[in-house]
Amino acid sequence: MRWLIRSAICALYPGSDRLPSVEELELDRFLEQIRRESSTLFWTGVIVGALVFTISPILTVGIPLPSVLLGKEALDRHADRITAHRWYLVRQPVFLVKMVGGLAWGQHPKVRALNALPPYPPDPGTWRA
Amino acid sequence: MSHVAYREEPLELEADYVVVGSGAGGAAAAVVLARAGAEVAVVEAGAWRDPEDYPFSSYGTMRDLMDDWGGTVTRGRAFWPIVQARTVGGTTVINSAICVRTPGDIFRQWERDHGAGDLEEAVLRHQDRLEAELSVEEVPPDARGRSNELAAIGDASAGYGGHVMRRYVKGCLGSGQCLQGCTKRRKQSTNLNYLPEVLERGGHVVSCAPVKRILLAGNRATGVTGRFRHPGSGRRGAAFSVRARKAVLVAASATHSPALLQRSGVKSPALGELFRAHPGTGIFGCYDEPVDMNVGATQGWASTRFRSEPGTKLETLAIPLELVASRLSGGGRQLMRRLEEYRHICMWVHACRAESTGTVRNGLFDKPAVRYTLDRADMERFRIGMHLVGKWHFAAGAKAIIPGIHGMPYKLGPDQVDLLLEAPLDPRKYIAILSHLFGGCAMGADPKRSVCDPNGRVHGYDGLVVADASVIPTNLGVNPQHTIMALASVFAERLV
Repeated sequence: MRWLIRSAICALYPGSDRLPSVEELELDRFLEQIRRESSTLFWTGVIVGALVFTISPILTVGIPLPSVLLGKEALDRHADRITAHRWYLVRQPVFLVKMVGGLAWGQHPKVRALNALPPYPPDPGTWRA
Repeated sequence: MSHVAYREEPLELEADYVVVGSGAGGAAAAVVLARAGAEVAVVEAGAWRDPEDYPFSSYGTMRDLMDDWGGTVTRGRAFWPIVQARTVGGTTVINSAICVRTPGDIFRQWERDHGAGDLEEAVLRHQDRLEAELSVEEVPPDARGRSNELAAIGDASAGYGGHVMRRYVKGCLGSGQCLQGCTKRRKQSTNLNYLPEVLERGGHVVSCAPVKRILLAGNRATGVTGRFRHPGSGRRGAAFSVRARKAVLVAASATHSPALLQRSGVKSPALGELFRAHPGTGIFGCYDEPVDMNVGATQGWASTRFRSEPGTKLETLAIPLELVASRLSGGGRQLMRRLEEYRHICMWVHACRAESTGTVRNGLFDKPAVRYTLDRADMERFRIGMHLVGKWHFAAGAKAIIPGIHGMPYKLGPDQVDLLLEAPLDPRKYIAILSHLFGGCAMGADPKRSVCDPNGRVHGYDGLVVADASVIPTNLGVNPQHTIMALASVFAERLV
């Protein structure tokens, strides 16, 4: 299901004139890491959020297609509107996907440099044995 | 002295006192017992990570330091995350170490409403000691950063009567990494001081060891048992059993302590009741100048003027860029345009002194299940808190604010700030979190309405003490770490 999550995250963080898209920022490596390291419950929640994102364009742009088949403009409108959908149980699972995408995007050295922040050193992932 | 981490061979240990949890309550109690000459074993679900092991990113924090990936949420009208750590040192590792003395009215309220008197003198005495030992000091001027400076300016202009925060931080460098653990060793989390002292005094710390049950012989607590869990893979390790010659102190947090007592078979009509919190949310202010909120102390300015009326505390809080990315509303190119403003925005928050109560139950897979919803009066208080934060930003010179309330405009200008007083009363419209948790094992004189007596001893049981935020029967309206540490110290002192 990683491709589904990836497509939702890419639609949520497509980049701008000044900021890079999440797709340019080693997203696949990040998704592989989070799939491997996160709890089953957390990852399941992300999958559910990506599914909701994918099947809901009918609710946001009135097009009965999955988000992966939308054109660029419609997908962008969907990505914006779904995060503010009036149904809590629709927008809340998508928030989890958006959060994962935000982690991938915001911690990347390129994005941090553009925002006058030093790069994060690697997370050691170690502990006292 | 010994520290035992994850292992695949069974562990049997015995000590005078077993303390479950190593955060503010557990570590404070453990060191008091150790100083009195007792042999203490601290049993902690998370791993022991020294500052060299701390993560830098929010992702690493969720993975390495948070309880259940930060995935514990309230069940109620809205799913609001509950912020707690799971590491040696507990939440003292990932909070801003804000030190506020227990307000005097709280002691009166405990005595009047819960029969929990005779605590004030002892708590304040321990707070004196804690402040000296843990180097409590104001955030130094050169570590404050622009967000905290603006907060001071806005405070003076709005007349909020705020102050520079006092924190358990020695020589803050303003690295803006409080929430990920201070790699500079400035924040005095309990893994850096009291727990090493417990070891030096012949005690034990057993980490990676989530306690499954408290062992009971009749009505006497005799120890704890569980199974190691690998901090990297989550793999289950060998069983452990830690016997207590004198008493078991439970200090696993306001969510885990009641859940642990329930699954251990402890009977009390009040168990899991009276759960309270400070639900809070933030508002971004938009400034002409770059604020760079992640440069400088994560939190440095606060106002407690509104603690009693309307019931809220105001604070600065710089969240990392990667969390700003999801906190700003919208998606797609709209969101990216909003993120271009990052350097010019800063977040200030309010923590609502909510009167609503919830419940904690032992849920699936031994995870605490928290039911909690703010009632109408608290939601009104909540939006008044937001209004105060909005006005504070404008008083500091903000050109606009970003309230982040579903159904409201993305930005509000100075002439629109009063719209916040008409914001929705539906908690689902807000992105909020629960920090500062209380209750679940509330103390009091009446066994029908409380789990513990005012010394933390569980009614009807011998050798079983609760020593953390879960005993606090009311909402404090201020940051609770100082109260938790002092209360736990008092309970420990009264045991020996």
